[in-house]
Amino acid sequence: MNHDELELLRTDFCGMDFQTPLVLLSGCVGFGEEYTRVVGYSNRDVGAVCLKGTTLEPRLGNPPHRIFETPMGMLNAIGLQNPGSRQVVDTILPELDFAETRFIANLSGSTLEEYVEVARIFDDSPIDAMEINISCPNVKEGGVTFGNDPEMSARVVAACRAVTDKPLITKLSPNQTDIADNARRCIEAGTDGFAVINTLMGMAVDIESRSPVIGNNQGGLSGPAIKPIALLKVHQVYQVAREHGIPIIGQGGVNSAEDAIEFLIAGASAVGVGTALFYDPLICAKINAGIVAYMNRHGLANVAQITGSLRLNDAGGSCS
Amino acid sequence: MNAALSQRETIFVEEAEILAHDAHPGDQYTLRLQAPQIAARALPGSFVHLTVNAQRPMRRPISIMRVDAQKGYVDLLYKVFGEGTALLAQNGIGDTLNLMGPIGKPFEFHADKKRPLLIGGGVGMPPMIFCADVLRQDTNYQPFVILGSEVPFPFQSQPSEFMVPGMPGGVIAAMPLIEQWNIPSRLTSTQGYPGCHDGYVTDLARHWLDSLADEERHEVEIFSCGPHPMLEAVARLAKEYDLPCQVSLEEFMACAVGGCAGCVVQVQTEQGPAMKRVCVDGPVFDAYAVF
Repeated sequence: MNHDELELLRTDFCGMDFQTPLVLLSGCVGFGEEYTRVVGYSNRDVGAVCLKGTTLEPRLGNPPHRIFETPMGMLNAIGLQNPGSRQVVDTILPELDFAETRFIANLSGSTLEEYVEVARIFDDSPIDAMEINISCPNVKEGGVTFGNDPEMSARVVAACRAVTDKPLITKLSPNQTDIADNARRCIEAGTDGFAVINTLMGMAVDIESRSPVIGNNQGGLSGPAIKPIALLKVHQVYQVAREHGIPIIGQGGVNSAEDAIEFLIAGASAVGVGTALFYDPLICAKINAGIVAYMNRHGLANVAQITGSLRLNDAGGSCS
Repeated sequence: MNAALSQRETIFVEEAEILAHDAHPGDQYTLRLQAPQIAARALPGSFVHLTVNAQRPMRRPISIMRVDAQKGYVDLLYKVFGEGTALLAQNGIGDTLNLMGPIGKPFEFHADKKRPLLIGGGVGMPPMIFCADVLRQDTNYQPFVILGSEVPFPFQSQPSEFMVPGMPGGVIAAMPLIEQWNIPSRLTSTQGYPGCHDGYVTDLARHWLDSLADEERHEVEIFSCGPHPMLEAVARLAKEYDLPCQVSLEEFMACAVGGCAGCVVQVQTEQGPAMKRVCVDGPVFDAYAVF
């Protein structure tokens, strides 16, 4: 792509300059450097990279098997394996090249206090923004048990808000009754943006041993299989968020430029790519090129013109 | 320094044409792929992460058995295990597969350990064959290869031309390719295949180790790849004889670049237990850290 085409992709997200609307999702790309092993891959192809979920203290994570392929998707239960927030800030962040892209920390924890402490540690670091992970389905405490309770979600967001001025992005769970209500509460509590959605809880069974394949018994389902659910959730959250100018990273099964454009139309300002990287580590450049081609075909000057341009069918019902 | 930072641009992505794809008994297949970038850089223990079929987007990690850097091809051996490998088996000559590789920390040979003992079981044989191919090019080493299988071997065995100390009577079957390389090998199985040792790879390894003089035994280092119970037994044997031992592990894998932490194994480190990624921290590990 030439310079002008690349400029078409440049977009603002929570005050951050994203060189493309693509965001690499937490848990898929380690701590920002791992995919650079691949020749032809570049962090410059994305607007931001979300680092792996980070807790206050180091965690070993779940026992194997941690992943398993399912029809058009996969289950994972990593269990927040990470070296702890201090280690991430002191030894990993100094080696990231912030000229390449924006880096977003993923705050995880078992207690409200832990989220706050992790936020405080990242606040005093060069990290560009923080994603509050109140939707991890693979830990026994915190994670989705907070994210499925709007009251608790709002408390976590408010507590993190109190200790940082960096952009806060709340990662919402699809495993809840009313995602829009949860989003409303998180906006009141001070979130700057949303990531919609995290994985859906699922299971696979080995019929010979009659045990779940995943060591943690249950895992989070990702990949193309969840895309329709994610699109609807983005649309639902957008109904609430747009009044407040709160942008959304739409994510869940994005595997092509067409998928990314669907999410933008449904209300996303940026689009997350995760499982698709496992299929094709060079996919981001291809998605970028496909978005540019679409924009040229439709005479669009910037990505924001696509966001929320969904035209609901008059004969259909409301999507709530 | 961040390990990944020093490994930028070490994994290649290639659209690899299938040059040969041969079925063997026991649902085993050998696959030759044109992948010059990977062939030029692979080392014993390296693996490729490949697409099996457009309808099944997750890749599969498969060990490299041999490379020809001049001709630019890599050889793989795999067994149909699930839906992914079943789809892989349907590909024909001329079809292309998308390969990522070479990936992983390879086996390391040590000059003072002149008698590498290579033990491969089932689809764990390929990295041992790759090791033998590299070791034959260095006259410092005198390797011995033991291969075990509970399904027919994916090659026609032949009586070995090499005398190997400690071998029980009648254990003469060898892998022809390794024979051509002037490296002694022996085969084991509990299926009663002719010329094979009727038992486990570790039985035969024990016979061989017991036949060596003490100073010779001190020059042995064990390299192994195969099913988990076999590796456990090999690690026990190494401990019993106080020999260094490197093992290559496998696990379900998603990214294969260290990004997802999906393929971990628990290892013991000086700081206590740790979860290491089979893809980039391995697949080769010190057996003493794993078992």
